[in-house]
Amino acid sequence: MPAVELSHITKTFGPLKAVDDVSFVIEKGGLFGLLGPNGAGKTTGIRVMLDIFKPDSGTVSILGGPMDESKKDRIGYMPEERGLYQDIPLERCLTYLGSLKGLSPAEAKRRSETYLERFDLTAYKNKKVKELSKGMQQKAQVIATILHQPELLIVDEPFGGLDPVNTQMVKDQLREQQEQGVTIILCSHQMQQVEELCDRIVLIDHGKVMLYGNLADIRRQFSANVVVVRARSPLPELQGVERAEPVNGSVKLHLAPGTQPQELLKALVARDVALEQFEIAMPTLDEIFIRVVSGEGGTA
Amino acid sequence: MIKTWRVALHEYRKHVFNRRFVFGLLSVPLVILALVGLVFLILAMENNTTPIGYVDHSGLLADPLPAPAPEPPDRPVLVVPFATEADARSALEAGKIQAYYVLPENYLTTGELRVVHVDDIKSPARQQFYDFLAANLLKGADPAIANRLVEGAQVTIQSADGKRSLSADNWFSFLLPMIAGIGFIIAMFSAGGYLMQAVVEEKENRTMEVIITSVSPNQFITGKIIGDTSIGLTQILIWILFIVTPILIGRNTLKFLQGIQLSSQTVAVLVFTMLPSFVMVAALMAVIGATVSEAREGQQMVGIISLPIWIPYMLTSLLMGNPNSPLAIALSMFPLTAPVTMLIRDGLTILPAWQIAACAAIQILSAAVTIWVAGRAFRLGMLRYGQRLKLREVFARQRA
Repeated sequence: MPAVELSHITKTFGPLKAVDDVSFVIEKGGLFGLLGPNGAGKTTGIRVMLDIFKPDSGTVSILGGPMDESKKDRIGYMPEERGLYQDIPLERCLTYLGSLKGLSPAEAKRRSETYLERFDLTAYKNKKVKELSKGMQQKAQVIATILHQPELLIVDEPFGGLDPVNTQMVKDQLREQQEQGVTIILCSHQMQQVEELCDRIVLIDHGKVMLYGNLADIRRQFSANVVVVRARSPLPELQGVERAEPVNGSVKLHLAPGTQPQELLKALVARDVALEQFEIAMPTLDEIFIRVVSGEGGTA
Repeated sequence: MIKTWRVALHEYRKHVFNRRFVFGLLSVPLVILALVGLVFLILAMENNTTPIGYVDHSGLLADPLPAPAPEPPDRPVLVVPFATEADARSALEAGKIQAYYVLPENYLTTGELRVVHVDDIKSPARQQFYDFLAANLLKGADPAIANRLVEGAQVTIQSADGKRSLSADNWFSFLLPMIAGIGFIIAMFSAGGYLMQAVVEEKENRTMEVIITSVSPNQFITGKIIGDTSIGLTQILIWILFIVTPILIGRNTLKFLQGIQLSSQTVAVLVFTMLPSFVMVAALMAVIGATVSEAREGQQMVGIISLPIWIPYMLTSLLMGNPNSPLAIALSMFPLTAPVTMLIRDGLTILPAWQIAACAAIQILSAAVTIWVAGRAFRLGMLRYGQRLKLREVFARQRA
């Protein structure tokens, strides 16, 4: 049973079609990337998913059916625009938000203490939220999102404002949540993080689904017939290679249509070339994102 | 439902355990205390206890009775006889007496007497001399009659049904509902102000999106209204303690305090019209908070609510002239003017039971409708960042 299923969702605001016939399925326990440029309709999609907005058409199934009040305690949502009470001490803020997610105040306090310790924020628990740095507030927001141990986690740009150490800490936390069986929807512009963490993605642009599916399949779909080779000696003339392009000590070989990388590898071995690297060049998610958004490709 | 109470408790704790609230809470009784202190200071300044002299040429005060003891807070002033006016003048010039009276031989027939003083004689001292004079003029009379003549008549104005009365001893009861009304309004707007500010801030700092994925908009807004109404009631309760405690302590010594009483009609008006009005104003503040995009804009809109609430005070003289006029009744039935109008009328007349019942029903209904509107405005306006929600959108049939 999928954790989330959006089927032909459309939502308009006046003349603007923020989400246009969007469908995707997120399997239980998966780490799903929700991508798209600014104003693509990602946040509206999430709000429709969470029943903050009613869709004009289409259906949403979340945790086994339509969204209702009881499911709010099973979902953790971290919006892109961070939302913590600024004028109260950090621990009180977390305890309150946890208690609104169905935890008893005592349990919320106990868990807050544990997470504050884990996120190196114990020393700041009595400080007002507004007195914390942006990075600390970001970590506090992550705690508020996972405090009640949700089954579904929706995190919008969780790495914004974090230094590399804290970015790693949040990534580890997301992986840990996934290992515990939590379904995660990661909304981010940081393609490197998405590439590292997600197994499936959907890319939305102008409210429409441009790409959707398994990340490896998508990369393969966008890969050109190119291999990267590094050898101890200069490469000989090879049949089936249209163009050779030196890149940082390696050579990018653009293969002629119909030439398979395996054939090239066989030819190199047959000619006794001492290879240090032989790799089929896959486009990065960044490259795919730019190509799709700039209209060079992409299919839903 | 438990989440509603958690929101209410959070809202309550957030404001009540806050320095700004404590300052606001104490400032009103402190101002009252300062005013009472000022009154006592003026009374003390009036209380010049330097003796008063008299020169009696009439013989009426040959063997005088002592002056009757004055009523607190007035302090006794010694009345000293002088054989001649020259002696009295010397004493006056020496500052031993504050003034002296001269009773001529024909005082009994003319009633004329002369007073000589340097500084103006304060009224308590003057009154004590007149009481001394009256007591001695009535020396031979029946003590009961003499006492009655000195103390004068105690007139009590009573309503036809015998339920209410007003006398010199309980004049304060007339003012009490008006003062209670002012206290209620101050508490109402300060608590409502917290609510409005909290809603605007939650929009401004984006907490709203986290909150509404945890509780329903109705649970949230109801919790907020309960929390903020409780803040207002806490304020009122503490103010009542500040007012009642000195009254209970002071009524043993200050006679006018003994007459203070709260009629059952006043209690009914306070409970059945003021409390729903409190909730209604809190909900209206929530509507404002949900519709505006920033706190400053909200403050400007508060005036639209507060003006009609204060209007009855502006019309006090009209209401006093005829507390049962059609205007008074109409103001009693309009949700925003009703609470104060009813309280002012309560001090002046016997309110018909049907008017109290009708007013209470209108206020309770208005509170319920306003909560509904607040919930709807909140649902529509909660994610409008930097954009104002129009009222017609609140009432329009559309999908949130």
